[in-house]
Amino acid sequence: MSIAGRILWAAVSLVAAFAMGVIAQNRGESVSSMWLIIAAACTYLVGYRFYAAFIAARAMALDDRRATPAERLRDGHDFEPTNKWIVMGHHFAAIAGPGPLVGPTLAAQFGYLPGALWIIVGAVLGGAVQDFVVLFCSLRRDGKSLGEMAREEIGKVGGFIALITVLLIMIILLAVIGLVVVNALKDSPWGVFTIAATMPIAMFMGLYLRFVRPGKVLECSLIGFVLVMASIFGGQAIAHSATIAPWFTYGGVALALGLIIYGFFSSALPVWLLLAPRGYLSTFVKLGVVLLLAAGVVLLHPEMRLPPFTRFVDGTGPIFAGKIFPFCFITIACGAVSGFHSLISSGTTPKMLTKESHAVSVGYGSMLLESFVAIMALVAAASLDPGVYFAVNSPAGAVGATPQAAVATISNWGFPVTADQMSVLANEAGEKTLFYRTGGAPSLALGMAKIFSGAAWSQGLMAFWYHFAIMFEALFILTTLDSGTRVGRFMLQDLLGHAWPKLGETGWKPGMLMTSGAIVAAWGYFLYQGVLDPNGGINSLWPLFGISNQLLATVALCVATTVLVKKHGARYMWITCVPLAWLVIVCFTAGWQKIFADSPALGFLAQAAALEAGAHTALTAQLAFNARLDAAVTGVFLVLVAAILIDSVRVWVRVLGGEKATRTTETPFVLSTLAEEA
Amino acid sequence: MRNVANLLRILWGILQEVSGQSAYRRHLEWHGVPHSAGAWRRFCDERWAEEARRGRCC
Repeated sequence: MSIAGRILWAAVSLVAAFAMGVIAQNRGESVSSMWLIIAAACTYLVGYRFYAAFIAARAMALDDRRATPAERLRDGHDFEPTNKWIVMGHHFAAIAGPGPLVGPTLAAQFGYLPGALWIIVGAVLGGAVQDFVVLFCSLRRDGKSLGEMAREEIGKVGGFIALITVLLIMIILLAVIGLVVVNALKDSPWGVFTIAATMPIAMFMGLYLRFVRPGKVLECSLIGFVLVMASIFGGQAIAHSATIAPWFTYGGVALALGLIIYGFFSSALPVWLLLAPRGYLSTFVKLGVVLLLAAGVVLLHPEMRLPPFTRFVDGTGPIFAGKIFPFCFITIACGAVSGFHSLISSGTTPKMLTKESHAVSVGYGSMLLESFVAIMALVAAASLDPGVYFAVNSPAGAVGATPQAAVATISNWGFPVTADQMSVLANEAGEKTLFYRTGGAPSLALGMAKIFSGAAWSQGLMAFWYHFAIMFEALFILTTLDSGTRVGRFMLQDLLGHAWPKLGETGWKPGMLMTSGAIVAAWGYFLYQGVLDPNGGINSLWPLFGISNQLLATVALCVATTVLVKKHGARYMWITCVPLAWLVIVCFTAGWQKIFADSPALGFLAQAAALEAGAHTALTAQLAFNARLDAAVTGVFLVLVAAILIDSVRVWVRVLGGEKATRTTETPFVLSTLAEEA
Repeated sequence: MRNVANLLRILWGILQEVSGQSAYRRHLEWHGVPHSAGAWRRFCDERWAEEARRGRCC
């Protein structure tokens, strides 16, 4: 590196350290979010330039002379050498979901600092490493999936456990994101109308693409976008109509049932009619909103009003129970380390890379971008007044069933807020009330709306921006919900097909309906229990989702470590072992506490016992059963991942001890004929 | 000016890739068939049969 280069990188590192110091040292007054953005951006640059380059050169020995699967197996379909930046955009669109937006918003309960540090450090040393190494492993193995690699590298048990773990995680994920939508749309005719309108709009797009203008996806998506924007304005008119508004005003149970019915039909309907057009629409809206949010945060850099730490680091928080360790690291999964990304890194992406070196920007770089999205979501949440943040996100069970009781409780915590203030804010946002809107989506929408309406040209558009943000989040989540239900159905059919081959035939209608029903019933049950939960459901379901997602990352890192051990012995295994060890400690501590903690707010078994000790009603009996079920699911996750961990360690010990021959599973070297980047 | 043009080309490429229009163009080239409603439906049915098996990220 030249002297100028060294000076430049030393300056970037110093700026990162200084900005981090400013946000860490701040006490008692608001601080500009620009410091957090600078700290994050400079740390990402240093991580990308040095750590990713080190892994690429030493541990992976990336070689651009080696032909990639895209070149060797080119089929005009999946395997296709593609421009690096296009693959990166495609990969980022695939990994970015609602998780990095909702998780940091919920974790802001501890203050902005713990979440910010975990998002930045976790992504640089953990999440980006996982995505990058899994992408590399798949790239050197003909684009194989994580499950196939687990089977080959660790053993049949590992592969089977990976499959079961993914299926269970999918069920919990769908339930929890469904709950986020339900809580965002409760008693909101504007929101319900806008989201309901996206369904006929998506079906119109499907018919348009199939029969009117086949192949014109971008044109059709543009029409769909215009219609969705029109539906936001239509929702405003409906919310103000005394006659029509009640048609679109529903409570939690009715919305949950509506979502369950929708999930079943979206899984059973032809893909081209609903799932595909909604997927296009949500992807474009997602990319547009992420860019808009980035521009809003960077240009307007709002003050962060939440303190760096709140009193709730001790585990007494109203949004979810549990101390800062391990629950901050569980609540924020997707912005720091997300197991789900390993499925994308071993899916379409390795089949599109033209050169091995492109894996650095696509695998490591895309995760840094996702982490930056999480930072922006944290800024949006932290820019709210702390009292408002807690009034929106706290369930009635934690702060009191009336607005007066809620503001009194929250003000007593040291976060002053008044009922009038909340009423004015709800009015500005075009809602009847903003109390008890748990789940993270409404407070994130409020933060985003405040940022967007802070621009000179959009003042007075707070209600529009709030519902635009809600529409964006719900569209995003419903896309994950309908495609996730379908994926879960295929996985279940694959599994059950071993016992009853007819059920494995995806074209067999009765089998399709049975398995669709089974998957919807599974996530629908957890969604329903979340809606019934007096603590808002997020308290029990989000940690369960976080634990399961991080456990999938544990499985991915086990596979990655096994590959590194077989390739280099013990020399570079620390690269994946450090995040793996951290995740094992965090997940198993959180899992243990969620099952066995003495506090009914935290431990599922203690919660069941407390419910049974109280008044005996049908509701308390069901809530007690639900708590025990959650404990059992958490236990199953821990046992499954412990099994794959033990299996992996057994393989490492045998390889390092020379007991097992290190047979490489990499495809043999073939010289690339692609001279230049596609 | 050239950099701006390159950036726009890449952004357009990302939109084409995300929308599947690039994949459709490759499909037509690979099979040596012209664009038609039938070719588009065959492409969609093949593509989505596989896409629908892949999980979306959280």
